[in-house]
Amino acid sequence: MVNRSDRELDALFADYRVAAEVPEPGPSFMPRLWDRIEKRRSFAFQWKRVTQVFVGSAAVICLLLTGIMVVPRTAAAPSHATYLDVLAEAHPTENLAAQGIARFDNPEASR
Amino acid sequence: MLVEFELIQKAQSGDDAAFNQVVTAYRKRIFGTVARLIGRPEDVEDVAQEVFLRLYYSLDQLRTWEVFEPWLYRLTVNASYDYLRKQRRRNESRMADLSEQQVMLADAAAGGRVNTEEQRRRQVKEFVGSLLDSVSEEDRILLMLKEVEGLSVKELEKIYSVKENALKVRLFRARQRVLKAFESSNKVVKRPEAPTD
Repeated sequence: MVNRSDRELDALFADYRVAAEVPEPGPSFMPRLWDRIEKRRSFAFQWKRVTQVFVGSAAVICLLLTGIMVVPRTAAAPSHATYLDVLAEAHPTENLAAQGIARFDNPEASR
Repeated sequence: MLVEFELIQKAQSGDDAAFNQVVTAYRKRIFGTVARLIGRPEDVEDVAQEVFLRLYYSLDQLRTWEVFEPWLYRLTVNASYDYLRKQRRRNESRMADLSEQQVMLADAAAGGRVNTEEQRRRQVKEFVGSLLDSVSEEDRILLMLKEVEGLSVKELEKIYSVKENALKVRLFRARQRVLKAFESSNKVVKRPEAPTD
């Protein structure tokens, strides 16, 4: 249902269509547009360069950290000793005897 | 369509001369739409340039030529919306800086310079502008496209990629809000008179 206010509002919008001035594009429209395009293009190019440098350096840092994490571990690893050898070296019989875990036979006392 | 799809394809592949031709073909139409959407002739060129700038950098995303015009409209709507949002923020701070007397003096000075027809046009623009302040920038643009630009709901559907019913509801609500503001303005201020010819 269209009432009087609706019709008046439609007429007002029609008036507005006529009243809104549409300026003609000036002679500098195209040159200014291309200036803006070029400006954004150079900004995009610089931004691309910055991100490439960032990604590149991040990759180098990652490789470096991986190297640091991996290399010392391989160096510290025993080359040919068995588990029992390492255990015996870490816990000499004297220590175990002092703690009462193993019996220590003194060779001089038995003589 | 104002241009052949081959021309758009050439522009897509980086042919600057083809892009120039596309801009020249659509320049006037975009100027008109932007002028009616933002209502400030002094800023139309700037906003229209922004539309074509966005077109240049997003042209490679266009797949089919049928959607070119709705898509260009969408870019126009988005650029106008961004402008209106910035303008509203700027106006709020600018008006806060001016005293009431300064505002009245500026209005009087502006009024003295224009003739009656121009004054009436200005009144219509200001009046419609004040009515549209009762809705959000998005709804303002939607109403403008429908009521002033004369686009159909089907065309709006393509521009906004929204279902017809949702669009109709949004349009109805926005129009009701403007209508309410229009009716209450009848009681408060004198509306611009219709031309007597």
